[in-house]
Amino acid sequence: MVFVAKMALRELRASWKRLLFFFACIAIGVASIVSLRSLTQNVRVAITGQAKALTAADIVISSNRPFSSDALAKIEQRLREYSVTERTNAVQTDTMVRPATGGRAVARMVEVRGVEPAFPFYGTVVLQSGGTYAHALLQNRGLLVRPELLAQLGLKVGDALILGGAPYTIRDVVLVEPGRRLGGFSFGPPVLMDRADLLKSGLLSTFGRGRYEIMLRVPERSVAPLLGRLRRDFRDFPVGARSYRTNEDNLSEDLMRAENYLSLIGLVIVVLGGIGVSSVIRVFVQQKLKAVAVLKCVGGTNPQILAIYLAQVIALGLAGSAVGVGLAGVVVAWAPAFVGNLPPGTVEIQYELTAAAVLQGLGIGVLVSLLFSLVPLLQVRHVKPSLLLRETSVARRRDWLEIAVIALVVSALAGLAIWQAASMRVGLAVTAGFIGVTIVLHLTGRLLVRTVRPLARSRWFPLRHAVLRVGRPGNQTRAILLAVGLGSFFMIGVRLLQTNLLDSFNVQVREDGPDMFLIDIQQDQVDGVVALFTSTTPSLPPPRPIPVLRARVAGVRGREVNMESYQEVRGRGSLGREYVITYRPTLEDNETLVEGDFWSATNDGQPQVSIEVGIHERFRIMVGDIMRFEVVGRTIEARVASIRRVNWRDPRRGGFMFVFRPGTFEQAPHAYIAPAKGPDDPSVRGRLQHDLVARYPNVSVIDVSEILETVRKVVRGVTLAISVVGAIVLFSGILILVGSVSMTKFQKVYEAAIFKTLGASTRSIAGMIVLEYGALGLLAGAVGSIGALALSWTVSRFALDIPWEPSPIVNLAGIAITGMLVCGIGVTSSLDVLRRKPLATLRAE
Amino acid sequence: MIRLQGVSKTVTSGDRPLTILHSTDLFIPSGQFVAVMGPSGSGKSTLLGLIAGLDAPTTGTIEIDGIDITTLGEDDLAKLRGEAIGFVFQFFHLIPSLTAYENVLVPMEIARRRDAPRRAAERLAEIGLEARGHHYPSQLSGGEQQRVAIARALSNDPPILLADEPTGNLDAANGRHIMELLGAIHARGVTLVLATHDVELAASADVRLAMRDGRILNAEFAEPRRRQWSS
Repeated sequence: MVFVAKMALRELRASWKRLLFFFACIAIGVASIVSLRSLTQNVRVAITGQAKALTAADIVISSNRPFSSDALAKIEQRLREYSVTERTNAVQTDTMVRPATGGRAVARMVEVRGVEPAFPFYGTVVLQSGGTYAHALLQNRGLLVRPELLAQLGLKVGDALILGGAPYTIRDVVLVEPGRRLGGFSFGPPVLMDRADLLKSGLLSTFGRGRYEIMLRVPERSVAPLLGRLRRDFRDFPVGARSYRTNEDNLSEDLMRAENYLSLIGLVIVVLGGIGVSSVIRVFVQQKLKAVAVLKCVGGTNPQILAIYLAQVIALGLAGSAVGVGLAGVVVAWAPAFVGNLPPGTVEIQYELTAAAVLQGLGIGVLVSLLFSLVPLLQVRHVKPSLLLRETSVARRRDWLEIAVIALVVSALAGLAIWQAASMRVGLAVTAGFIGVTIVLHLTGRLLVRTVRPLARSRWFPLRHAVLRVGRPGNQTRAILLAVGLGSFFMIGVRLLQTNLLDSFNVQVREDGPDMFLIDIQQDQVDGVVALFTSTTPSLPPPRPIPVLRARVAGVRGREVNMESYQEVRGRGSLGREYVITYRPTLEDNETLVEGDFWSATNDGQPQVSIEVGIHERFRIMVGDIMRFEVVGRTIEARVASIRRVNWRDPRRGGFMFVFRPGTFEQAPHAYIAPAKGPDDPSVRGRLQHDLVARYPNVSVIDVSEILETVRKVVRGVTLAISVVGAIVLFSGILILVGSVSMTKFQKVYEAAIFKTLGASTRSIAGMIVLEYGALGLLAGAVGSIGALALSWTVSRFALDIPWEPSPIVNLAGIAITGMLVCGIGVTSSLDVLRRKPLATLRAE
Repeated sequence: MIRLQGVSKTVTSGDRPLTILHSTDLFIPSGQFVAVMGPSGSGKSTLLGLIAGLDAPTTGTIEIDGIDITTLGEDDLAKLRGEAIGFVFQFFHLIPSLTAYENVLVPMEIARRRDAPRRAAERLAEIGLEARGHHYPSQLSGGEQQRVAIARALSNDPPILLADEPTGNLDAANGRHIMELLGAIHARGVTLVLATHDVELAASADVRLAMRDGRILNAEFAEPRRRQWSS
């Protein structure tokens, strides 16, 4: 044991420089794993530690319409049963605000939340002024707003804001607000106000979209039973209940999933590093054959010699992992600058390396070093000491031990992947993917050698010898194909995904298409709104209002499905949600009929509905089925008359899941929405919104250009994240490439010296190198590119659920860049092969 | 004592089998100095390699001090070499990543000798290289490298020393120096088998075997025993 340790140390003294690539490969992988895992764990710890503050209560009961007296009676009863005394009400809605005087002539949509004096039960409202939050700040028409709203409207604390037609005073700026949903999509920055003021404002009329909440403070032991009781009570009603734990669990689950996926990406990078390790060790063993033979000659046994090299691998793996942890420390320290904190009013995150992540990183680094070195190191068993008497090549043989070790390595890697992804399915899929790509690249390597073999008879010297090099024993063809092929596979795959992702977000804003959506227009306001529009923008087509109502599906009587009650519908997931419906006589331009007939304009009695093809596919609802809807307090049965397909990418006429035949709802109270083309000039546009809100305070304007900006920001963030990961993968690939090239240099230097002695010019030798690496690069790029097509298709189709389209330019560019990169690196690292004088080289041999 | 019975070695050359040592019987008593002579390719190195267990014979048995080494596995053979057989190569074969001192030390460490560091220093002193112990092989001359190789071969006091053309790669002066060293070692009672095609070097041997085309053609015994080189 002592001997093994001493020998390993002595060998390392000389070999560490040659194994530097080994080191770097592991360091990068470990740095990825440790930093990704630490960052997500930091976020998770922050969020779970502040779960109550994030909910602001123990239990929240919520509904999209005011609680009915029946529901309230039920809630009261339960609260008495569980002796809950502390409760407070809150209500939330989206609306438009504009400056009262001064500021800019613009209007903005905000998310208003009205609260009572008891709010919040948990957490603190943090104000920019440093003052303490008290409900008095909100009373008598006070508002607390986010700093970004002040910036957008050009206002300051103390100024007045018009909300629902009445002025309010901005009393302070809120930095952290308990009880805001994390990560939810919102149409605007949050605003905090008095609940009584909000109820009086008229914003929550029949058509206004509000969210009503009852927040409870409950003794810890009653949280779970009361929550269960309430959920059972309201099974048949669109009333939901959640506790701080539900929040904690959902967030934790999401973050856990994020952590596992990110760790898996880290593992992929480590495994790429492992491939680098494997090829470095393979060449290293080739160079150590004589030393191994000498050790055997002076009494060293196979186990001893294997142990010497394994000890070196472990030492290097540990050192590389330690450097990786150091790198991760730097990344995590810089993270706040790039990631920033979570959006509005959420939690403070402490960015630091976590012990669990560091330990995992070190463990994985050493394990991967060991696993990927094991197979090439087994080769030392076949070294015969007679090598010292006769130059014999060490025959590469597969024996049972090697096959067993390969099986062990593959299962250990699968185990690692399953552990890191925390999912058997994902772990196995990743392992299978790796094995698949490896086999394809391996076979491609063989095919390449076989295909180009006839060229070895070429009359052109550089070509002839480039071909011979590709196929010579101990060549790096397969290692380079594997490393670079995998690298380009990931890079091109990521690029393709990004293109598809951007495409799917890129809602086409056509020249003539609407870029503003007016919502919550009341029946008596329709003409006024249209008139205001046409007077401001006479050259543009006037907005065409669409009547809308809110409805939910209360039952289905069909050929394939039968849902008797709302409870059953709710059990089918999204079918139980509230839908916005409309009625009209004809199909729109962005719709096509899939099945059935769209009605004639006349009404002949029974209500009819046309459903979107998505509803038909997901819930097996057919033409002829009878659906029961609850619309503004009425229950209506309608026959499914047709199935339509909506082109969601063409939003000119909006998209509805359910379109009714005219004649059913004309007399019911309903609101209108109106897609419109707004003026291009931002100041005219701002003025129009401002005037509209000034005259019709209940009407909200969703500016598509602003939403698109938000979406673009999200996509930019996602793109950046994917690109960073892709760049690390590419960097690992390049590292492996540089490693493979320079490890085989000693052989090339010797050959080049002989060629030169025999009269070959530097140019012919350079030509040989360019051809060899160029061909390898192009081929690796081509294989990676085909793999990338499959990868992006699979991920788009199954994971992201977005339409997939090939983009040949990305593929072709990927192949060309890979080819040039490999060629460039091959030639650059072979420069001294070209420069060196032959005599010195031959003497050294 | 070394005993070979019906030992032959056949290798595959291209696609065809090639016998590089035909069936050979040989007995070398302990303490004897045997010179194996013959031109390149006559089978000298093969014979030495087989005796050292560096290679396995195709047929026959090889006994070293009563142990049939053809029945031993790779690791047992390595152990036997470490303890009982020293080998000196024409091309020295020092481990380039280790210093001269460490090259001498390694076999003793493998044999787990407690006094290894002291003995390694002594061995280096014996060959006159005590001051060069920290040098790497690439920093030593050919003669010096071969002396280190001899010190390494003798580090565990093996009763048998096999030397394959030890002076073949050296100039005359260095060659003489090496032969003096080997003579001194034989004088201590070590069985010495030397492969060479230098008649002058072989002259001092107890027995001279002439080899050609993988066969021992004849054996010539020196009468009376001379110790020409130790005088």
